[in-house]
Amino acid sequence: MTAAKLFRHETILAALTVIAMIVLASLSDKFFTAENLLNQGRLMAEVGLISLAMTFVIVTGGIDLSVGSILGLTAILLGVFWKNLGLPLPAAILLAMVCGTFAGFVNGLIITRFSVPPLIATLATLALYRGLAEGISEARSVRGYPEWFFFFGQGEVLGVPFQLWVLGIATAIAAVILGLTPFGRATYATGANEVAARFSGIRVNAAKLWIYTASGFCAALAAVIFVSRVTTTRSDMGTGLELDAITAVVLGGTSIFGGRGTIIGTALGLILIQALKNGLALSGVKGDGTIVVIGLVLIGAILVGALFDRNRGG
Amino acid sequence: MSGAAFSPGRSNLQRFLSGYGQEIVVLLSIAALFAVVGAVNPRFLSDTNINSIFAGNAYIAIAAIGMSMIIMAGHIDVSVGALIGVIATIAGTLAVKGYPIWMAWSVPIIFAIAVNAAVGTLVAYTRIPSIVVTLGMLSILKGGLISATQGEWITNMPAEFMIAQMRPFGIPSAVWFMVALTIIAALFLRYTDFGRSIYAVGGNMEAARAAGINPERTVIGVFALHGLFAGIAGILFATQLQVIQSTVPPNLELTIITASVIGGVSILGGTGTVIGSTLAAILFACIGSALIFLNVSAYWLRAVLGLMILATVLADMVRRRRDK
Amino acid sequence: MRADEIGAAAAVGAALPIELRGISKSFAGITVVNSVSFDMRPGEVHALMGENGAGKSTLIKIMAGLYQPDAGEILVNGNAVRFASPKEAHAAGIATVHQELLLFPELTVAENIFLGQTPKTALGTIDWTAMRRRARQLLEELDSGDLDIDQKVVHLSVGNRQRIEIARALAQDARVLIMDEPTAALAEQDVQRLMSIVRRLRKRGVAIVYVSHRMPEIFALADRVTVLRDGNLAGAKPVPEVDEPTLVSMMVGRSIDRLYPAKQGKDGDTILELAGVAHRSVVQDISFKLHRGEILGLAGLVGSGRTETALTIFGVTPATAGQILIDGKPAIIASPGQARDLGIAYVPEDRAHQGLIRPQTIEDNIALANLRRLTRGLFVDAAKVAAEARGAIARFGIRARGPEQPVRQLSGGNQQKVVLAKWLATNPRILIMDEPTRGIDVGAKAEIHQLMRKLAGEGMAILMISSELPEVLGMSDRVLVMNGGRIVGQFDKEHATAEAVGTVMTRSYTREQAA
Repeated sequence: MTAAKLFRHETILAALTVIAMIVLASLSDKFFTAENLLNQGRLMAEVGLISLAMTFVIVTGGIDLSVGSILGLTAILLGVFWKNLGLPLPAAILLAMVCGTFAGFVNGLIITRFSVPPLIATLATLALYRGLAEGISEARSVRGYPEWFFFFGQGEVLGVPFQLWVLGIATAIAAVILGLTPFGRATYATGANEVAARFSGIRVNAAKLWIYTASGFCAALAAVIFVSRVTTTRSDMGTGLELDAITAVVLGGTSIFGGRGTIIGTALGLILIQALKNGLALSGVKGDGTIVVIGLVLIGAILVGALFDRNRGG
Repeated sequence: MSGAAFSPGRSNLQRFLSGYGQEIVVLLSIAALFAVVGAVNPRFLSDTNINSIFAGNAYIAIAAIGMSMIIMAGHIDVSVGALIGVIATIAGTLAVKGYPIWMAWSVPIIFAIAVNAAVGTLVAYTRIPSIVVTLGMLSILKGGLISATQGEWITNMPAEFMIAQMRPFGIPSAVWFMVALTIIAALFLRYTDFGRSIYAVGGNMEAARAAGINPERTVIGVFALHGLFAGIAGILFATQLQVIQSTVPPNLELTIITASVIGGVSILGGTGTVIGSTLAAILFACIGSALIFLNVSAYWLRAVLGLMILATVLADMVRRRRDK
Repeated sequence: MRADEIGAAAAVGAALPIELRGISKSFAGITVVNSVSFDMRPGEVHALMGENGAGKSTLIKIMAGLYQPDAGEILVNGNAVRFASPKEAHAAGIATVHQELLLFPELTVAENIFLGQTPKTALGTIDWTAMRRRARQLLEELDSGDLDIDQKVVHLSVGNRQRIEIARALAQDARVLIMDEPTAALAEQDVQRLMSIVRRLRKRGVAIVYVSHRMPEIFALADRVTVLRDGNLAGAKPVPEVDEPTLVSMMVGRSIDRLYPAKQGKDGDTILELAGVAHRSVVQDISFKLHRGEILGLAGLVGSGRTETALTIFGVTPATAGQILIDGKPAIIASPGQARDLGIAYVPEDRAHQGLIRPQTIEDNIALANLRRLTRGLFVDAAKVAAEARGAIARFGIRARGPEQPVRQLSGGNQQKVVLAKWLATNPRILIMDEPTRGIDVGAKAEIHQLMRKLAGEGMAILMISSELPEVLGMSDRVLVMNGGRIVGQFDKEHATAEAVGTVMTRSYTREQAA
């Protein structure tokens, strides 16, 4: 992994992002304003947090489809703990996040202990966690949170949305862990060749367990921000979020086959997607049209990645 | 050896039981469910209810046939729910706009086959995991559907278009379709080279290649076939009610995948039957209905579904480990 | 030459099902098979022997259509042919029973036999009745009527699976059947069974290419034997004209002492001791001692349990019985990480799969087993990692552009040096080397041998697994021989001759004898 090689993809992506920004700015004069950009950052935070953990997951050669459901479950539990069980809100938040994190841990256990392919394991828990959210909430939404709670999703620090600070700090931490620590090395090694990693004394299963747990934690954190931003909890929150996260990660240059990828790439992928969504909306494309664009971008990005892989040889 | 006609040590009954174990379990579960729920609430056994269980869910069983083939071949398709919605909308629009009924039925089916053949080609030749391609396809189809319909419902479709509501010999045509297609698919899987090559490719791709099978062609064929079944399912879905909504039941693709897996299709490929998946689809419909009759909130249905997939997959993995 | 006379005499008679004339094949400039001629007559068992790397597998793969020869010609029934693919070889009546059995675990026995050429009804659908009947018939002919044709293959033993592959070849009307180490993974009763099946096939007029190291099988079954050595034909003789020592010397062929570096210094204390160690039923009752400064050779055929023993010591497949002692103290080794922390290093046999992360760089690979040492505070010290790699490149003479070159771009020998460098960087006291020089050119091989001797001289205890008898005999201070998952022989340097070790290695043991 020479630095030159690693940064090739990211450089292309950065250039693409800049070009997209320029085009979008020329299409709509509302796009390139500080207010709009900061607001987009606010909207990006939840997917962003999940994408960070998803980068680790995909680098190990796995996938986590259940993150959207974990977000929904955590949101519902937050509301239920506070409103129905009467816990103080901070305790409810904490407890709900513990539950969301535990959901991720359960994913990890199923994958490492029973060697269930991550795809299947998290497809099953996608249904299970969403089902729990629906069953517990019975489609009732919870509202009426105290004013201070809205700070997480709507507040600002030094003129920048609170959750953008969280995303920024989390991105920095994730980048450092994946790029600079022994754990990051173990993550890459696991994805590139799990057997050789194990034969080199790497605790592959422990690493995976940590990563899926972290994925649950990020989804839970995103849930709190989400609830605070929209001021209500509903059981269908976060539906389809896994798709946005995977798209950002893959667009950011992480190989879907594992072993390769960076946090910087994921961050760029996120920004590009959010810019596309926002820019298209501002230029008159309806909200649902942007989903189509994301689907096309996802398939296109992986296709290019796969062809690139083939040219590099095994 | 004198006992050559029979396998020593195993009676025909044992062989039958071991070959169709999962189907029998599902069948018994359905019977038990009917007995228990019927005892608690006899209205569960009323004609109307049984009719609605079978006719209302036949399209899920039919889509599960195609999904079973996909999973047997070692792949998966998470876009099928969205595809069914798109098919229904295309069919309904054609019917309302006054196109001939046969076109309103066949054009969407051909569209479904084409879409899935394209997905299959991508999966077979680029080696991109089918989950990723179909996730992308899910978002394209879903977004495309909502932007095209703007959330509006289709109504006032001509009566002769409503194929699912026809009742030849007093039984809803959707049920006829379900039974006939299950039998045809079962025969096809058992008695044709293409059918067997699906199992072979899902079981051991390199061995299949060595046996002269072209795995790429098989994968594309399987996806196209799956498109055919999804297309038929979409037409039945479109015509079972007087309106076509711009959305499909949430997580429809998961229900379909679950039916396949619980019906005995191993998620790792290479094994399974379509009779099992049809029975499992019926079982789900029964569970959904039973929850209502037992006064359990239907909101728990998906949790039950998820738990059932998880349990089946874990059992499959444990069984495989033991077999080794 | 005698072999040519035999071939010529045969050619005059009936058309031969396959004949190779002057076949040569090289890979990346290294000649693997050099002008070898080989022929098969209908109804004969023709043993093909030679050490690892002698060119047997290449020759088989040329016959099976997997490789195309660079020079020479292939004749089938007297007509020159060219196999572009395994399919064309099949069509010409040449079938292979693979070592890694190519079957469909979830399909039935009958279907596995016929898949790809199933019997059809008049309607063109699969005729299951005919398929099951013919499957039963075929298995009867192979004296395997006890196999349940409706059973899924996933439940069957290796021996049964092999019989299905043979039946599959017969169903294809194979006239030449290539069997590559067919008994390597078989239990004793299955070996006897296989031999009786081979005799039946011979009676049917099938020509069988029988690749094996096991002498008793060769003498019990084969009509002719051809020996390859370093890619050349070392000789072809009717079996009645040879005996075991002759065959061994034909295979080994050269004086082996001078090529290997001599021992330096004396053995030290016992550092590793195994007492009755077992892993399930794969390896059983393994007991031995390994001393400082010693190279202990672990000989045996493929499947005899050598690698499995190493994996148990290294914690990949932890011991299920017995005790492992390090420095006389009992140690529990449940993972490779624990083994490493106890000073054990393992250079695995499958370099690409187990040894290296091929897309990653030299420095990344070397760092992987040494992350703790190369970490400062919370972070991996990139400078230290690079320095470590540069040091290794210089010390081991790894030919590479630099520490940042991906290892997949290196030659086999240099890749092996990277694996070695990775493990020596952990400062091990016990080094297990599994097939240390497999697939490596002669120069690099000698360098690795020198290095092993030097390490032993510095007090390292080395356990070496090798399928190359000359390497075992040349490098080892002591030789243990494994067979059927147990240690069946021990030789010190003076008594470890090719004949003695080879005999114990290739003897068929019943379980009682082995125990």
